[in-house]
Amino acid sequence: MNKNVRERAQRLREQVRQFCRQEMPEALLDKAHRHQVLDKADYVQWMRLLQAKGWVAGHWPKAYGGQEWSALERFVFEDELARQGCPWIIPFGVKYVGPVIYSFGSEVQKQRFLPGILSTEAFWAQGYSEPGAGSDLAGLRTQAVRDGDHYLVTGQKVWTTYAQWADWLFCLVRTGNEGKPQSGISFLLIDMRSPGVTVKPIHTMDGYVHVNEVWLDNVRVPAENLVGEEGKGWQYAKFLLQNERTAGAIIGQAWHVLDRLKRLAREADASGQRPIEQPLLRQRIGGFELRFMALQEVAYQAVQAMVDGSDNGGEASLIKIRGTELYQDVAQALVEALGPAGIAFDSAALHSATLPPLGPDDSGGILKEHFYNRAATIFGGSSEIQRNIVAKVVLGL
Amino acid sequence: MTTDLDTIAMLRDSLERYSADRYSFLQRAPLLQLPGAFSAQTWQDFAEFGWLSLRLPEELDGLAGDAVAVGALMEVVGSRLLLEPLLACVVVASGLLLKQGSAAQQAELLPALAEGRLKLVLSHGVSHELCRYAEGRLSGSQQAVLHGDIAEQLLVPARDAEGQLRFCLVEASAAGVSRQAFRLVDGRGAANLQFAAAPASLLQPQAGAPSAEQALAEVCDEASVALCAEALGVATSLLRITNDYLKVRQQFGKPLAGNQALQHRMAELYLLTEEIRALTLAAQQAMCLPAAERARTLSGARAYISQAARHIGNEAIQLHGGVGITEELEVSHYFRRLMVNAALFGNRDEQFLRFVELSLADA
Repeated sequence: MNKNVRERAQRLREQVRQFCRQEMPEALLDKAHRHQVLDKADYVQWMRLLQAKGWVAGHWPKAYGGQEWSALERFVFEDELARQGCPWIIPFGVKYVGPVIYSFGSEVQKQRFLPGILSTEAFWAQGYSEPGAGSDLAGLRTQAVRDGDHYLVTGQKVWTTYAQWADWLFCLVRTGNEGKPQSGISFLLIDMRSPGVTVKPIHTMDGYVHVNEVWLDNVRVPAENLVGEEGKGWQYAKFLLQNERTAGAIIGQAWHVLDRLKRLAREADASGQRPIEQPLLRQRIGGFELRFMALQEVAYQAVQAMVDGSDNGGEASLIKIRGTELYQDVAQALVEALGPAGIAFDSAALHSATLPPLGPDDSGGILKEHFYNRAATIFGGSSEIQRNIVAKVVLGL
Repeated sequence: MTTDLDTIAMLRDSLERYSADRYSFLQRAPLLQLPGAFSAQTWQDFAEFGWLSLRLPEELDGLAGDAVAVGALMEVVGSRLLLEPLLACVVVASGLLLKQGSAAQQAELLPALAEGRLKLVLSHGVSHELCRYAEGRLSGSQQAVLHGDIAEQLLVPARDAEGQLRFCLVEASAAGVSRQAFRLVDGRGAANLQFAAAPASLLQPQAGAPSAEQALAEVCDEASVALCAEALGVATSLLRITNDYLKVRQQFGKPLAGNQALQHRMAELYLLTEEIRALTLAAQQAMCLPAAERARTLSGARAYISQAARHIGNEAIQLHGGVGITEELEVSHYFRRLMVNAALFGNRDEQFLRFVELSLADA
């Protein structure tokens, strides 16, 4: 990896740090730091701030409004945002469907959809999982039947994040039943306001609705909303998944939660003792530090391999497995370190400026993150699927 | 100063080719039977290929190799389970002489080390008790000194009458030196050393040399980094051997490789191996960092790698089944090598505690 690539990435990290410290609106930063629930308007404000810097889709080609970031710049950008405790970038438009559209879509689709993704005018959701097709995604059964210049789509999607806000759904549908299950799948863009689309919330244990069921009942979708070729949806979905597993954010999140644990452990309790002086907790935190060091070094090597083109296909899985597992273990230790505040939960406090009933201001948010991130080893390809990938792709087993 | 990449590739390739030709697992077996598991002929070959002058400065016809260059050799040492005292003589003894020897001592001893005429071993690594030095005499004892059985001369850290740390040079055959030679679990030789007023001369540091404490710490760090690279060589070998075995071993009418439970365990071994690789590189790069940062990275890398490599060793045996614990199969030899290396220059617990304290120093 050459020096220019490294220097550009380091400059970007500095710029992101400056931005977080100087240009983030205080109300938004406070909500983010306390892990409060952000509503749609917050996200629109956040994503537009990033777009004003040219960052929201920095990894896109310049021709479509991006900056053609290297894998290292993208990594550093996501890492630093997460370290600074910023909200996440909702990925469904800029990370997922955007690159599919500019890589495989028609000129008309590019002109119609890309500007709205960049400006966060349009909210997107991902119609992938179904009740019978989770890890085994190719088993999906939602049917799209051609009817003149439309498809008629019927089926059910599940775990659809932010479907309640979405204007559009990019959706894997079955257009054929011949051959392997993967070969009859197509990639359709569905207007969420179409008749026959019903969104039902799924309540998760953090007291919030992130995910939904999306029911599709004879929904008429214009054939011009088919991306690429009919029957090639699996190929586009795999392309998208490569973008889904990017490394930076998970490293930054793990760093952030470990930093919070250390800060908490350094505060004297009622008896004047600092928890970090207790040998067991001290060693536990030291063990997390060591795992973080290993994660960071291995991620850095992986990104370098991606930049140099010497990657072997296992890197993203490696980082996801180690990153999410470390995050979860640290988050658990953090909740335990909260003591009684770690079992007191007032979900209403997450939606307003009120304080949690016990503990530091962010204790409710810490719990919310802990609950939600139990799914981090499940979504985006579970840890078991990641191990399957390593065994197959890298080890040839 | 960093060694250029061509030199590093040349070093790795030359030792790898030599080992492929003369140091296969079968060719290695008779070497293990030699006294001290040491072959004078092999050592002479090493000298002729220039590997023994790796650390020497260019004015002494050395390669002035940095931690990455040393690592390139040590990775092959690990993957081929070389028995020779490369770490002891090339990294540790040469390193300490360069830091603490007078010009005359360097001029006498470094060429002898590089040409394979002298095996000089630092009696340090496993036990931490220091010997005592007074008026040209050394007293005390050291346990389980790797290659202490075949050394012609010993470098012994000792306290003088003022409590200062000094490095004593002792002839192994001198009166007052008694040594009890034995094998370590991996087949390499070692000795318990007793010094009873043994005649000793002191290393005489040159002007501007680091303190004895600092020099010893630096040498231990350099040995630690080298051991990381050796562990990488062992880990990549065990991963490859075990992976190949699962593809051919048939049970229940299909290869073991078809079982997802085993695939996931192999994936874990791959993850650990990649972490060992990345931490080895980080440790090598940390050698140019300020002392505290370097110490933190090194102790962290050693702690993580010792544990990760040991897990790979345990799993390699388990996944091979009964044959994994036999003398006949190389797996058990790699396993025992890891045991010995983990005990050298700070074991896993010592390294981990040092890492924790350096990480949380401001807390």
